[in-house]
Amino acid sequence: MEITRRDLLQRITTGSAAIAVSGAVSAATMTGLAHAEEPAKVPPRAVGMLYDATRCIGCQTCVVACTKANDLQPDNRRDPLHQAPGDLNYRTKTLIKLYKAADGKEFSFVKQQCMHCVDPACVSACMFGGLKKDSKSGVVTWNGKYCVGCRYCEVACPYNIPKFQWEGFNPRIVKCELCKDRLAQGEEPACTAVCPKKAVVFGTREELLKEAKLRIAQNPGKYFENRVFGEKEGGGTQVLYLSHVSFSAIGLPELGDESVPRKYLKWQRRLYSYLILPAGLYAVLVGSIRKNWKHHEEHMREEEQETGLRAQL
Amino acid sequence: MKDNWRRNVPVFNVPIWTRPFQVLCVLGGIGLVLVLYREIVGLGPVSGMNDAYAWGIWKTFNTMVLTGLGSGAFAIGIAAWIFRRNQLHIVMRTAILTSFLSYIFGLTMLGVDVGRPWNFYWIAFPWHWNLHSPLLEVAVCMSIYATIPLFLENIPTVLDYVYDRWPQQRLSVEKFEKVVVAGYPFVVGLAYVLPAMHQSSLGALMLLGGDRVSPLWQTPLLPFLYVWAAAFLGFGFVIAILLFCGIIWERPLDVDILSQLSRINAWLIGLWISARLIDLTFRGRIVAAFRPDFFAGLFWAEMMILGWAFWMSRSASVRRSPRGMFFGALLTCLGGMLYRFDPTTTAFQPRPGSIYFPSVIELLISIGFVSIGAAIFIILAKVLPVLPAPLSLWYEMEAQREKSSQVAAAAIRSAAGQFVA
Amino acid sequence: MSNHATIEAHLKATGVSRRNFLQLCGTLMVTAPVGLALTSKKSVAQIAEAIGKTRRPSVIWLHFQDCTGCTETLLRTSTPDVAHLILDVISLDYHETLMAAAGAQAEAALHKAMIENSGKYVLVVEGSIPLKNDGRFYEMGSRPGAEVLKQAAGKAAAVIAMGSCASWGGVPSSDPNPTGAVGVDSVVSGKPIINLPGCPPNPYNLLAVVLEYVTMGKLPALDEYNRPKFAYDRVIHDNCPRRAHFDAGRFALAFGDESHRKGYCLYKLGCKGPVTHASCATRHFNEVPGVWPIGIGAPCVGCTEKDVVWKMSTFSTVPIHLVTPPDTYAPIYAKNGALKTGAAALVGIAAGAVTGAALMGARRLPKQALVPAGASETEIDKPGSEIPSGD
Repeated sequence: MEITRRDLLQRITTGSAAIAVSGAVSAATMTGLAHAEEPAKVPPRAVGMLYDATRCIGCQTCVVACTKANDLQPDNRRDPLHQAPGDLNYRTKTLIKLYKAADGKEFSFVKQQCMHCVDPACVSACMFGGLKKDSKSGVVTWNGKYCVGCRYCEVACPYNIPKFQWEGFNPRIVKCELCKDRLAQGEEPACTAVCPKKAVVFGTREELLKEAKLRIAQNPGKYFENRVFGEKEGGGTQVLYLSHVSFSAIGLPELGDESVPRKYLKWQRRLYSYLILPAGLYAVLVGSIRKNWKHHEEHMREEEQETGLRAQL
Repeated sequence: MKDNWRRNVPVFNVPIWTRPFQVLCVLGGIGLVLVLYREIVGLGPVSGMNDAYAWGIWKTFNTMVLTGLGSGAFAIGIAAWIFRRNQLHIVMRTAILTSFLSYIFGLTMLGVDVGRPWNFYWIAFPWHWNLHSPLLEVAVCMSIYATIPLFLENIPTVLDYVYDRWPQQRLSVEKFEKVVVAGYPFVVGLAYVLPAMHQSSLGALMLLGGDRVSPLWQTPLLPFLYVWAAAFLGFGFVIAILLFCGIIWERPLDVDILSQLSRINAWLIGLWISARLIDLTFRGRIVAAFRPDFFAGLFWAEMMILGWAFWMSRSASVRRSPRGMFFGALLTCLGGMLYRFDPTTTAFQPRPGSIYFPSVIELLISIGFVSIGAAIFIILAKVLPVLPAPLSLWYEMEAQREKSSQVAAAAIRSAAGQFVA
Repeated sequence: MSNHATIEAHLKATGVSRRNFLQLCGTLMVTAPVGLALTSKKSVAQIAEAIGKTRRPSVIWLHFQDCTGCTETLLRTSTPDVAHLILDVISLDYHETLMAAAGAQAEAALHKAMIENSGKYVLVVEGSIPLKNDGRFYEMGSRPGAEVLKQAAGKAAAVIAMGSCASWGGVPSSDPNPTGAVGVDSVVSGKPIINLPGCPPNPYNLLAVVLEYVTMGKLPALDEYNRPKFAYDRVIHDNCPRRAHFDAGRFALAFGDESHRKGYCLYKLGCKGPVTHASCATRHFNEVPGVWPIGIGAPCVGCTEKDVVWKMSTFSTVPIHLVTPPDTYAPIYAKNGALKTGAAALVGIAAGAVTGAALMGARRLPKQALVPAGASETEIDKPGSEIPSGD
C-alpha cells in the first residue's frame, strides 16, 4: 500500500498519542504502587474486644444482652420456644457457636460478631458510605441513609458478618456496631458487660493486644500457635481472638497479613487512579473514530449515489 | 451479490401480534406482577437468596451475565470504528438495540434486587461516592452508558424512521442529524470507554470474594477476562440474533458478514482461552483443574464449550455454513455466560455447607424481564429499520407500502363514492 | 389478749419462742426479696425488731362467694405452730370461719371491730361479690354482699383482695357468670385496693403486705393489675426448677409417661408458667419444699392471671414472650439454602425451551457451506480495507 504524506503524519500523531497515554498509565501505576505499599493504619483510639475461647463457658448471656441492648427481636424462627438462631442474621448481632471435632476429643465455643477490621472489606465495597469506619474509635457502623441494600458488603466480608433483613419493604443491614450508643454514654458493650467469665472483654486495641500477649506468655502452650488472631490477620482487626483449637476450626479464615481490599483491589485501584487511564483511552478512541469517520462518510455518500436512497448512519 | 446486506429494513411483512409474542407478553406480565409482590414482602420470601449467598440470579444472571450478551454494541463497534472493519457497520443497529435493551433491563433488575432502591439518588452526588467500590463503578458507568451513549446511538435509527414515515418532517430531521453527526464520535468514544470500565469492574466485584471464589476463577486478571468475555459474548450474541431473526422472519442472510463476525469471534475466544490458561499456569493455580472435584469439572466444561465454539468459529468450512455459525455463536454465548456466572455463584463458596438455588418466583421474575426485553426487541425490529437486509428487501417494502396505500386510497374513494351516492 | 399490745409483747405473753418468730421473719425475707421496705434490711433480727415494736394490726376478714380455700391456705401449714404464729402476729378481729360466734352475735362482733379500729383496720376480702338480681345471691344479715363490703371498706385503711375471686371474680365469674360475680375493685372505690390473686394465693404474701403497711406505714408498689410487685413481677418460668429441662428441650409429653416421671418440663402439657406472674416457684406451699403445682408434676394453670385461668384451655400451650437461648449451640457453619423441585423443574423447562428453539431454528438453516458470494475472504478481512461494505 502506498503511504501518502498525510497517512504518515496521521500515523505519527496516533503513535505519539499512544506513547503518551501508555506513559501516563505506567506513571499512574507507579504512583498507585507507592500508595499500596503502606498498610492501613489503626485508628488512634481504636477500641475493640478480646475473646478468649478457653474462658468461654457457652452461657449465651452475651447473646441475650446483645439482643436487649440493641432492641432486637429474639430470633425464635427455628425453634419457637427459644432464641436459637442457626447463624448470625438480621435479628442476631452476636452468637455463641460450638465447634466439636469429629472424633469428639476437642471442642470449643466461639463468639461471633463483627471483627471491626482495620481495613474493612465491607466499607471498601459500600457504594455511598452506608457502612463507615469511625476515624477515631474504628467502629464500623451502618447508616441507613446511604445504604442502597445491594448486599455487596455481605459478599465482600471475609468473615460473613453483615446480614441483610430479608423480610419487609424497608430492609436494613444488621451487624455488631460495638454498642455505639452505650459507648457514647461511657458504658462498655452489652456483651462484655455481662460476661460472667470475662471471656470477652472490652478495651482499646492496644491494651487488649498487650493483655492477650500476656496471657500467651503466662500460659505457654495453652493457646493455638501462641497467636492472637486479629493482630495481623486480614490487615488486623479490632476484635481479637485467643483459642486453644485452631482458628479455622472455629470459623476464622486464614487471610494472610494483607487486608482483603488491599490484596484484591490493588490493581483495580492503580488502574483507576485519578481516572488517567480512562481519560487517555477516551482521547485515543475519539481521535481514532474521528479519523475513520471521514472514510465512513465518504462511503455513505457513495452508497447514496449508487442506490438513490438516503444513507443510513 | 443480490443477497448482500446493504441496508437496515424493518420486518414489514410480519404482524406484531403473533402467538410467540403473546407468550412473551404473558411471561412478562407474570414477572411484573411478581415484582410488585416482591416489593411488598421483601426479598426473603420470594427468592432463594440467604445469609450465605446474598446475591441471586437477578444480579448474577440478569445484570452480570446478560449485559455481557449485550456487549455487541461495544465489541462490534470497536471492530468497526477503531479497527476499521467497515463492513460491520451494517449490523451495528442490531447490536446497539440488543445492547440497549439488555442494559436497561439489567439496570431495572438491579433496582428490583436492591433492598433500599430509594437511596440510589446519592449517585447524583459524586462527593458521596466511594471510589474504592467496584460496584459503585459498575453502577455509575452502567447507568451513564445505558442512558446516554447507548441511548443516543439509537437516535439515527429513529431519525430514519421519522424521515421515512413523515415526509413533511424531513427538513427538521436533516437539521437534527447534523447535530447528531457532529457529536457522534464523542458519544461513540464514550460508548467504548464506559463499557470497558464497568464490564471489567463487574469482574472486579468478585475480587473481594477472595479465597471464597475457587482459585480457577479468582485471579487479578478477573476484570480483564470479564471484559474480554463480554467482547466475544457480544459478537456471539449478535451473530445468533441475526441468524435467528433470519430464520423466524425469513430474511436473506449475508454469509460474508456473518462469517467475518465469526472469524473475529474466533480470535477473541482463542486469545481469551490462552490468556486464561497462561494466567492459571503462571500462578500455579492450574493444579486445581486436575483435582477430581466439582470446580474442576465446571472449569473444564467452560473450557470445552468455549474451545468447541472457537473451533467452530475458526474452521473456514463451518464458517460458511449458517447452521455451523449458529451453533458456534450459541456455544460462545453458553460458554461465556457460564464463565461470567460461575465465580458469582457456582464457584463461589461463602460458607461451607450453604447452597443457593433460585426460587420459582425469582426465576419467573428473571424470565419475565428477559421476555419483556425480547418482546420490545420484536416490536422495534418490526417498526424501526434495525435488522440488516439486501437492497431488494427495501424495494419490496416500498412496493408493498405503495400497494397498501393505493388499496387504502381506493377504499376511501369507494367509501366516499358510496357516501355521495 | 389486748389489741393494743405490741407484737413482741403479745408473742411473749402467748409463749411463742423467739426462734419461731425469727423463722417467720426469715420466711418473709424469702417471700419478698425485693420491693418491700420491711424486708430490705440487713438481717432477720432487724426485721424482727421492726415488727416487734409494732402494734398488732387489726384485720377484718370477710367472706363472699368463695370456697374458703384462701382461708385454708393460711391455716393448713404443715407445722401447726406457724398458723398460730401468723394469727398471733396479726389480730384477726373478725373471721367467720375461725370465730365461734354466729348469727346476731357475729354481726355484733363485726360492728364492734369496725367501730373500735375505725379507719385503722385492714379489710381482707375472700370471694367474689355477686351483682346480678340486686346482689341477692349472697346475703349477710339480710343485706346483699355489695352493701356489706361497701360499709366495711368505708372504714378500712386498706382493702386486700385475697385470691383470684376477690381480685376479679375468679371461678364464680367464669362464663356464663350466672351471679354477675365481680372483684373488689368493681364495688369499692376511694380506698387502696391490693389484689393478691392466686387460687389460693400464698399466705406469706398477705402477711408481708399487712406487716409492710403497719410497720413501715405504706403499701407495697403495685403492678398494672394492682398486684404487689414483690410477689408478682416475675413469671413462674423465670425461677422454675424445671427450667433446665426447658432449655435443653426435654419435655414431658403425657401424664404418667417416662418423661413426666423424670420430671421434665411441663410446657407441652399446657403449663402456663411462661406467662404467669407469681412467686410460687420460689415460695412453695404448706411449709413443705416442692409443694406447689409444678413441683408435684401438675402444669401451672395460670391462676394469678386474669386472662389465663378459666379463659384458656388447661392443656393448650402459651406463647413464649421473651425467648432465651437454649442449652444447644449453633454449628460453626450454618446450612443455608435448599434446592426446590419446582425451581429446578422451571430451570429445566426454561433451558429446554431455549435449546428447543435453537435446535428448531437451526434445522431451518442450510447445513452445507454456502459458496462465498462476494470477494474472497482474505480480502474482506484485511483491516482498513478500502473496499466498501457489501460491494
